Amino acid sequence: MKRFIISAVTSAALLFSSSLSPSAYAQTSNANGSKAGNAARAHSAVKLTLPLKKDSLKFAVMGDTGTGSDKQQQVADKMVQYHGTYPFEFVLMLGDNMYGGESAKDFEVKFAEPYKQLLDKQVKFYAALGNHDQRLQKNYVNFNMNGKEYYRFKKGNVAFYALNSTYMDKTQLKWLEDELAKDTSDWKVAFMHHPPYSSGGKHGSDAQLREVVEPIFVKYGVNVVLTGHDHFYERTKPQKGIYYFVSGAAGKLRSGDLKDGSPLTAKGYDRDLSFMLIEVDDKQMHFQTISRTGETVDSGVIMHQKAKP
Amino acid sequence: MRHKAICQLLFIALALPITFLAIASSAKAQVTQTTTAKLSPVDKEAVKRFEGRVKDYMKLRNAVKAKLPKLSKDATPQQIESYRENLEAAVRNTRTGAKRGDIFNHDGSDYIRRTLKVNFTGKDRVELRNIVFEGETATVKVRVNYPYPEQTELVEMPPTVLLNLPQLPPEVKYRFVGRNLLLIDEDINLILDYMTNALP
Repeated sequence: MKRFIISAVTSAALLFSSSLSPSAYAQTSNANGSKAGNAARAHSAVKLTLPLKKDSLKFAVMGDTGTGSDKQQQVADKMVQYHGTYPFEFVLMLGDNMYGGESAKDFEVKFAEPYKQLLDKQVKFYAALGNHDQRLQKNYVNFNMNGKEYYRFKKGNVAFYALNSTYMDKTQLKWLEDELAKDTSDWKVAFMHHPPYSSGGKHGSDAQLREVVEPIFVKYGVNVVLTGHDHFYERTKPQKGIYYFVSGAAGKLRSGDLKDGSPLTAKGYDRDLSFMLIEVDDKQMHFQTISRTGETVDSGVIMHQKAKP
Repeated sequence: MRHKAICQLLFIALALPITFLAIASSAKAQVTQTTTAKLSPVDKEAVKRFEGRVKDYMKLRNAVKAKLPKLSKDATPQQIESYRENLEAAVRNTRTGAKRGDIFNHDGSDYIRRTLKVNFTGKDRVELRNIVFEGETATVKVRVNYPYPEQTELVEMPPTVLLNLPQLPPEVKYRFVGRNLLLIDEDINLILDYMTNALP
């Protein structure tokens, strides 16, 4: 009964128009786009479907990166290439930032070297912890966790909540609820490692996690949840008014792991590694998902509307 | 007969608003409070003593930590590695006599076992067991006062289970390795204690 009351308040808060194909989307954007946006689309090296507005919030998203492999490097190179046209300010890391050991050398090989060009461009990284990550990553200068396993930061009209989904205890849940209760930001974005919704064959939806976080997300109007753990890309159909993404393939791929015909899937991609670009322009959140080779595998916009009183 | 019907109507008229108020007020309550179980007085005391033993460990470990250089919130990988190695060695040295059951002794483990049994039994808990058993932890040697290998993943603790277990300080965490429940100091990957066959 309680859940029904909560979801009824917030489920009508968002509209979605992601069914546009990338080309159709670009035409829509062109009609309202800025000069900078038009110039960017003329750039031959990258194909951008984002509007590239002057004062918008621009960031990237990557999950399950820390392998130190050539493929991780190739994704990182592609991110650098896109940064040339789409100067994202920061990157959200969705956990499993370091596989198989965390010596000082591992930090170099699995993070600092692959993303050196972005770090040199002053791009900041904000990390969440995954099941392969050690707790002391919270103290690593380049992960900007400020010594905390879970934390909040705000950019423009967007509040970001980094959560530790490998250990969602009472203290963390209370912190999350207290922070969200007083949060007046237009957009609330949670990011963590384990996906409450996923069509993965290996892992799939984490129903236990969902049971405790979803009521809080719904009650306090979280708009978007970004997760990893399953090594592919998936945008699920909105669940109780919330948009869930799995983006866990920026360093590892589990090819063919997306369940065919999953009723959850709005769009999925498990043929190659991928990362996301997101642009928040006032009441619109645009997203573009790009493969290791530069193919745009998904794009769209989430429209924000105020919840009905 | 007529009197009975009037009484029933009156009862409904009174009961409905009360029920509605109860539902409305519970909806206002914090979401996280709804899923936790209530403890009996006996369990409450046992949990208190268990938490006391964990606190004793924290006192010891923090005393050791105070003698070492602090780790900054903006540390380099070298500083993190050095901090972890030094603290781990120092804590292990002060706990050389530590043995299984020091923290998870009979007193506290009874309640934890019963809680796990309730949470992990039944058809609807198959998924819960899958979370624990999909973890690739077979190579972990479970020994008190020895490190949990940093190359090995940490199995996600099912949140619905965590809500019913005694609360731990942030540095110490419950983790499953197979059917064993471990207590690990995750700043230094040190296994503090473990409970065998904790899962039913």
